[in-house]
Amino acid sequence: MSPERRTAWAFLAPSLVLIAIFRIAPLIWGAQLSLTDARGITPGAFIGLENYRELAFDPAFRDSISNTILLIATLPVWVCFPLLLAILIHQGVPGGRFYRATYFFPAILSSVIVGSIFNTLLRRDGAVNAALKLVGIAPTDWLGSSHTALLSLIAVQLWATFGMSLLIFLAGLSTVPQDMIEAARLDGARLRHLVWFIIIPALRPIIEFVAVVTTIGILTSMFGLIYVLTAGGPGTSTTLPEFLIWLELGKLNRPGYAAAISMVLFALMAGLAWAQIRIMQRNADV
Amino acid sequence: MSELSLTGVTKAFGGVQVIQGVDLSIEKGEFVVFVGPSGCGKSTLLRMIAGLETTSSGTIHIAGEDVTKAEPYDRHIAMVFQSYALYPHMTVAENMGFALRLQGVAAPERRALVTEAARILQIEPLLDRKPAHLSGGQRQRVAIGRAITRHPKVFLFDEPLSNLDAELRVQTRLEIARLHQALGATMIYVTHDQTEAMTLAHRIVVLRAGRIEQVGRPTDLYDDPDNLFVAGFIGSPKMNFLPVQASGPREITVAGQTLTLALSVPLPTGPLTLGLRPEHLSGEGPQVTLVAEVVEQLGQTSYAHGKIDGTPVIAEVRGHRPQVGEAIPLTLNPSRALVFGADGQRLR
Repeated sequence: MSPERRTAWAFLAPSLVLIAIFRIAPLIWGAQLSLTDARGITPGAFIGLENYRELAFDPAFRDSISNTILLIATLPVWVCFPLLLAILIHQGVPGGRFYRATYFFPAILSSVIVGSIFNTLLRRDGAVNAALKLVGIAPTDWLGSSHTALLSLIAVQLWATFGMSLLIFLAGLSTVPQDMIEAARLDGARLRHLVWFIIIPALRPIIEFVAVVTTIGILTSMFGLIYVLTAGGPGTSTTLPEFLIWLELGKLNRPGYAAAISMVLFALMAGLAWAQIRIMQRNADV
Repeated sequence: MSELSLTGVTKAFGGVQVIQGVDLSIEKGEFVVFVGPSGCGKSTLLRMIAGLETTSSGTIHIAGEDVTKAEPYDRHIAMVFQSYALYPHMTVAENMGFALRLQGVAAPERRALVTEAARILQIEPLLDRKPAHLSGGQRQRVAIGRAITRHPKVFLFDEPLSNLDAELRVQTRLEIARLHQALGATMIYVTHDQTEAMTLAHRIVVLRAGRIEQVGRPTDLYDDPDNLFVAGFIGSPKMNFLPVQASGPREITVAGQTLTLALSVPLPTGPLTLGLRPEHLSGEGPQVTLVAEVVEQLGQTSYAHGKIDGTPVIAEVRGHRPQVGEAIPLTLNPSRALVFGADGQRLR
């Protein structure tokens, strides 16, 4: 091996060791665990794909998947809302810097704090219902009803995280050449034409990036909010796979079954990561 | 009626006044070039005409209509940018037809208009390509084509050749001149390159620090500049300037020689500047000698750099190829000499 290659391996080795110990090994261990009937701290016996078969018929898991599909179906809102606000701020609406800071502020709050705030606001005698009462709308049990709990949760998570997407869009907008915008204005483009024909196509790589990152984010970082606001309920109406893993592992002491759910979630994430890499490669060719 | 008129136009960015009261009329079909050094306000003035910059005061009329407050798309103008400003996600045809699409022109008619513009610019084979697959020169043609398809009242060009290499710049310059002849359109062209200005313009507007220094035909500015700035800016190599004193009402002394000038007014006392172009140091008049310190050989002609009375001078030499150190006889031709007062204004 040449000295250059030895030096390269010496620099790579610490990262490779850390990835192997903390990423690859737990993944393999989790895959093995998912094929056992482990309970509590007992290792459990090999049961093949039994956990996966059980998953297919587990109503809680099926509910968590249907909740996930509903969550992913709201993705356009997670992307379009910050995009629209970013465009308006970029166009120079009065107080744009204030809005930018205000919108980003919730992104620095922990999900427990966000959950505590909205626990107070969304309860039956909370500020939201009090405000609705002023305009003659009957109070709703936002977090206690299976019809509204998941959408309330989505709305809270959107409020808490859209500032980050907005910031990414603002950074993307700053790279759209001003000359191109001016050329379009001279060509007769009004704001709506500018947004639709020029800005959105120019931001396509950023939009795709935000879509993928947001999807991964909402599938893997809503645990804290669910824990504080609804604990997965009422029933399983706000249970997501991530929360179910914790329930099976932490409450029901079934690490083998929890590992099987983890592997399904991992497969979903891997699919999204693959899509992300494909998108980035495609844009790199443009 | 003028196709475009600017009346008392000013522009301030914060407390800085970058355009200071510009008055200008441009006739229909005229090719006018704005020139000046960097930061003189020529691009700002063009952008104000386009509506991309607001006007602090004054009025802008296009075809008799006051457009001072109008949006860019309501001014019936088209602009070609230095950076081309093409839409990268659209094909050449879509780029050229974008304005027509926004106007609601039907696709077949749009295609016909785009094809006609492409034919004029000889870019028909490129219509289905994206800008990323074009060379710099081709992109600039597409940008011009985008302007043509709109049939604007006024074409604006903002340093359109600056991103092209020297050979392509000359070629595209000729094409723009041909295009102007073919279309007979009113064109305003911004450049800092005075060769472009001299070769393209019907009239040149020389700007400095947000003010118009002189407006005139290229040859008028070259032969008969109003002030030191214009005399120095127009012409390459630039005019030689020698500090002189008046030795009589119409006489100056330079390098020990006396020149009698045909002036309509007597010369003032105090410091004056004598201007002589490098190619005008011949003919009849008192002789001086220039020792060549540096010689630029251009083949047909040579430029000898030296000093007269300690002042740097460039002389064009034809007929033989001077060498460094050679003493070159020059003539201070009074009929070609220009005199400027202490304030930089021309004395005639």
